[in-house]
Amino acid sequence: MAEKFHTELEKLKADTLEMAHLGRFMLRTAVDALIRQDAELAASVVAQKEEIHRMEVRLEEHCYHLIALNQPMARDMRFIACTLKVITASLRLGRYGKVIANIVKEISDKPHIANLMSIPHMADLVIDMVDDAVASYGSDNLRLIDDFSSRDDTVDALRHSIFREGITYMMEDPKNISRCTHYIMVARYLERCADHACKIAENVQYMETGERVEIH
Amino acid sequence: MSDAAIITTNNVNLWYNEKQALQSVSIKIPKNRVTSLIGPSGCGKSTLLRCFNRLNDLIDNVKITGEIKLDDENIHAPATDVVTLRKKVGMVFQKPNPFPKTIYENVAYGPRVHGIKDKVQLDKIVEESLRHAAIWDEVKERLNDSALGLSGGQQQRLCIARTLAVEPEVILMDEPCSALDPIATAKIENLIERLKEDYTVIIVTHNMQQAARVSDYTGFMYLGKLIECGKTGQIFEHPKEELTENYITGRFG
Repeated sequence: MAEKFHTELEKLKADTLEMAHLGRFMLRTAVDALIRQDAELAASVVAQKEEIHRMEVRLEEHCYHLIALNQPMARDMRFIACTLKVITASLRLGRYGKVIANIVKEISDKPHIANLMSIPHMADLVIDMVDDAVASYGSDNLRLIDDFSSRDDTVDALRHSIFREGITYMMEDPKNISRCTHYIMVARYLERCADHACKIAENVQYMETGERVEIH
Repeated sequence: MSDAAIITTNNVNLWYNEKQALQSVSIKIPKNRVTSLIGPSGCGKSTLLRCFNRLNDLIDNVKITGEIKLDDENIHAPATDVVTLRKKVGMVFQKPNPFPKTIYENVAYGPRVHGIKDKVQLDKIVEESLRHAAIWDEVKERLNDSALGLSGGQQQRLCIARTLAVEPEVILMDEPCSALDPIATAKIENLIERLKEDYTVIIVTHNMQQAARVSDYTGFMYLGKLIECGKTGQIFEHPKEELTENYITGRFG
């Protein structure tokens, strides 16, 4: 019976990785659509909203089912606890992708101000964090996430910098207010995505070692 | 372990003939707590349990070395009176084993052996023991019926009452629920929770969920060794030893 259970856990892991990759893909594609001002690409992200929601429900049910039928303990329990968090974080990544995609539709009529400021660079850093967090979940490799605290600090600093820069452009010309407000919001969403990557990292750490850590 | 210990073993080794069943077992059993011993069949958990009231003495060619202390007294010392020891350390077995006597006599038997003859006092002990074992309401109208007419779960609680009647300090339970259905099991588990207010309970169980539910401390044994012992929450959430982790997650055993 334990063998069947562990096979089920492997399948749960593979399915969760698939969901995490979809969440990451939605976020990456939305940022690309923003950079290229491609409303069609943005619409394709919005269209994936239903799919990621379906995955969330199905995978959570799978977790509850495995808990109810197998009363997992120790590493198995920690794996399922971590998986539930990865599922939630993946949904959030996808949803922030969708929200950014919606912004693309509103601001693709005119050129970007200051080449989107630091948003493309910030997005690269955040998506790298997401990739490493998800890879650490998939491969049990904690080295991928050991510098998350400093990487998260860099992302926070970039958000602050984009906020300051956005305010400057708004003060220069009120016509920039709407566009810069969207930029500031995108920076805020990206910062939240980095926080979700940190949450995944914290839970992978717990899954692997049983120790609770907090990444600031 | 932060709780005060009632039983302490130090480097206990035990052989059945040439076969070594316990290897350097050192464990502290905290007072007024429930400690469970888990591990695969043949790991020595029942053997260790039976050391605590010297039940292994009844088996031929058993050799024990090391020290087992109950309340700081070595229970293997020549001066130890085994009858007194077994009064202090009661035992409940896997299969309910009531005497083929009335319900009343089952409980009164132990106190009588220990010299209590007064009927009023015996009545009081019987009622209190049955109440403590959470079976009084079910049997109070039929104390003079045969104990063998009770259900399996009731018989097991009667056996617990019989153990309580001689006022032990420690109650050993060897797979006390494995012959019972889930409802009877739940009653015994609820009882164990209440018993620790007055007694120290040590339970051997194959059922890890049961160990997790009822015990404060858990010891994992494997091939005669105590691999790890700690608070139950820690053992089942993040054991320190990989062997424990592999066993409780069903990767062997």
